[in-house]
Amino acid sequence: MVWNDIKGFLSGGRRSSREVAKGRLHLVLAHDRTGLDGAKLQEMRQKIADVIAEYVDIDADAVDIQIERVSRESTELRVSSPVRTRNSAVS
Amino acid sequence: MGKAIVITSGKGGVGKTTSTANIGAALAKQGHSVVLVDADIGLRNLDVVMGLENRIVYHLIDVINGKCSLQKAVIKDRRIDNLYLLPSSQVDEKDAVTEEQMLHLVTKLKKSYEYVIIDCPAGIEQGFRNAIAGADEAIVVATPEISSIRDADRVAGLLAAADIPTRLIVNRISAAMVKRGDMLSKDDVIDILALELLGAVPMDDEIVASTNKGVPATLAGVSPAARAYEIVARRINGEVVEDIDEHVGFFARIGRAIGLSSAA
Repeated sequence: MVWNDIKGFLSGGRRSSREVAKGRLHLVLAHDRTGLDGAKLQEMRQKIADVIAEYVDIDADAVDIQIERVSRESTELRVSSPVRTRNSAVS
Repeated sequence: MGKAIVITSGKGGVGKTTSTANIGAALAKQGHSVVLVDADIGLRNLDVVMGLENRIVYHLIDVINGKCSLQKAVIKDRRIDNLYLLPSSQVDEKDAVTEEQMLHLVTKLKKSYEYVIIDCPAGIEQGFRNAIAGADEAIVVATPEISSIRDADRVAGLLAAADIPTRLIVNRISAAMVKRGDMLSKDDVIDILALELLGAVPMDDEIVASTNKGVPATLAGVSPAARAYEIVARRINGEVVEDIDEHVGFFARIGRAIGLSSAA
């Protein structure tokens, strides 16, 4: 895909609509394939945040769930959460 | 015993009926006996795309209700040997037929024809479930657009759940737009949907003209889309056929010949 890289460079890093469509489809399909609707996803996020909060100090609102297709056959669900540590500046 | 193949897509307007007509005509041209079944109850269209609308007396629902025999409802296409159409009803509702009745009907047709090609209605409701009830295989038609691919993915999931082997037709590809970076390529769509490709059909004005006339492009001549559908038909029949690249330039061809670049 060297040629596409060169083209991308020449166009000032602007992604073609083809690339944009690919990215959007990957996200949309990853979500569709889980069969989870927005409300269920929200509910799961809240429950996961509650569990994490039992053990470490976190900002429950900052817990983020990402569903992404990593290959043709597998879709990954990633949970990320910033943790407040004892020596972090924020209290 | 013949084989029943359902042509589906989820989204409407991506070329299910056109694909059904052209694949059917191509298979018949290649010497196979084919019956096309319009499973879109209440919104029949395969008859007009085939140019057989003036010949309809009885339809699928009449057969289901025992109003006439199957043989009486099936129309023979006089332009070519071995091509037949079982039209849909324009006045009944989708629930006028059940999955069991469709399965029974398709099983009966498979005894008389090598290929039973079923044109599925848009959507994933009862009409879809009826259309896939008797199918041995499925073809999902998708255009290189986000909405079509999303729906195709949903339908492919339902077909997998129903244990129906599924292959893909990518329809209306514009090589020029793909090159400009303004359209998903055939390979993009295959990669996203993770389905086996049965064929890639180029955007072709001839399809509009042939539909206007009621003569499927594969019956009419050798337009780019017709050639693509002929390849699809051969692959359905189990032949191994290379893709024809309409828009590969002279230098790319040389490069490929001497092994400089891989296939697009």
